[in-house]
Amino acid sequence: MGTAAPDASVRLLGEIARGDRDAFARFYDLHAALVHTFALRILRERDEAEEVVQDVFVQVWRQAETYSRDRGTPEAWLITLARSRGIDKLRSRRRRDEMVRPADNPDRLPEPAVLESAAGPAEARATLGGALADLPATQRRVLELAYFDGFTQSEIAAHLGEPLGTVKTRVRSALDRLRGALAARSGAERT
Amino acid sequence: MSPVNHDQRLEQAAEVYALGALDGQELAEFEAHLATGCAACAERLRETREALTVLPESLPPVAPPPALRARVLERIAAERPPTAAPVGLRPERRPNRVLWWAGWVGLAAAAALLVVVNAELRSTREEMRALQARVATLQTELGQREEALRFLSDPNVRYVSLGGLKPTPEASAWLLWNPATRQGLLLARGLPAAPAGQAYELWALAGARPVPAGVFSVDAGGRGLLRLPPLPAEHTYDAFAVTLEPAAGVPAPTGPMHLHGKV
Repeated sequence: MGTAAPDASVRLLGEIARGDRDAFARFYDLHAALVHTFALRILRERDEAEEVVQDVFVQVWRQAETYSRDRGTPEAWLITLARSRGIDKLRSRRRRDEMVRPADNPDRLPEPAVLESAAGPAEARATLGGALADLPATQRRVLELAYFDGFTQSEIAAHLGEPLGTVKTRVRSALDRLRGALAARSGAERT
Repeated sequence: MSPVNHDQRLEQAAEVYALGALDGQELAEFEAHLATGCAACAERLRETREALTVLPESLPPVAPPPALRARVLERIAAERPPTAAPVGLRPERRPNRVLWWAGWVGLAAAAALLVVVNAELRSTREEMRALQARVATLQTELGQREEALRFLSDPNVRYVSLGGLKPTPEASAWLLWNPATRQGLLLARGLPAAPAGQAYELWALAGARPVPAGVFSVDAGGRGLLRLPPLPAEHTYDAFAVTLEPAAGVPAPTGPMHLHGKV
């Protein structure tokens, strides 16, 4: 997905903080597709994903002045905002579903069907490229279950039926490899 | 454990935290540590968040519909500018000097008078407020007793028992529920005091749909009393549940479920 030069986005955020609505529209045009794609992947539901996009950009308008470059790129900020809202909605939906069947263990993963569809290996291969392509499928799976589907490492262990320790190790290895790949890539870009 | 290992463990926790996968004791520990303002962990968190953006960025993009852009821009147009600092109107000419002085003297006298009157009013108002609060407390207590009596004597009233779930297995509650009028009175026992900013929320379950049925807190003895608000008539409620939520209440449950019972 094309990403705008961070500097242009930082400049736009400065103008938005001063109440510039045109700058806001340009910022939206640069980043709405990323936020929308991400929200859609988390929620897999059009209306809720659009709500997330709207909420995130309203928050950008209100809080542009609190953004500071040393806390990360504008993209990372947007993605953090979008993930937090998306996962909140997802958990709220799961909680609602869970309430209907409270006789079961309340700790169990509420939506196995969602989980199964959440990270089909074929889809993962088709959609995740670059630094992720080198990741073994099992490592990519735990990253996706956590990042896109909002499950914690204990929940992932319960779902996969594997010991928590194994899942933790896999999460650690996945994060290490991801960082390594990105460091190598940004190193290559610089030279 | 040596300090070096300790730091490493926390910085590893920062990465798992950025991924959103940290939970349980590790999550509590890390959040407590982060709250101390550890710069190394904050930096590691920032770096990892930055690295993880590769996940959403490598998804095939799905453009949002143009109507959404229009809606967002409409929302923004209705909002005040983020740094709303309207420039005040300036008088075009200096006012006449004598009038200016007279105006100040008059204003000063009026201000002094206002201070005196305000102080009087404030003390009277405080007394009234204390009395009103006392009356309100008594009325509430009386009302609750009458409510309970009325409920107990109504033949339509059902007794619903709610049992404690995993977070508070020892908690329980009973609900006097009148399905005909959709009124009810809940008494919960054995619940821990809700953390600051949170409260318990009761839900009336109509099949798959949870309907908010009031927010309550518990006293030092773990007891909470709630008179249910009038519930919408279009549903048949077949169960009730209590979750922990933000103190203002939420339209749909988000927190852990503490109590549940079927009608």
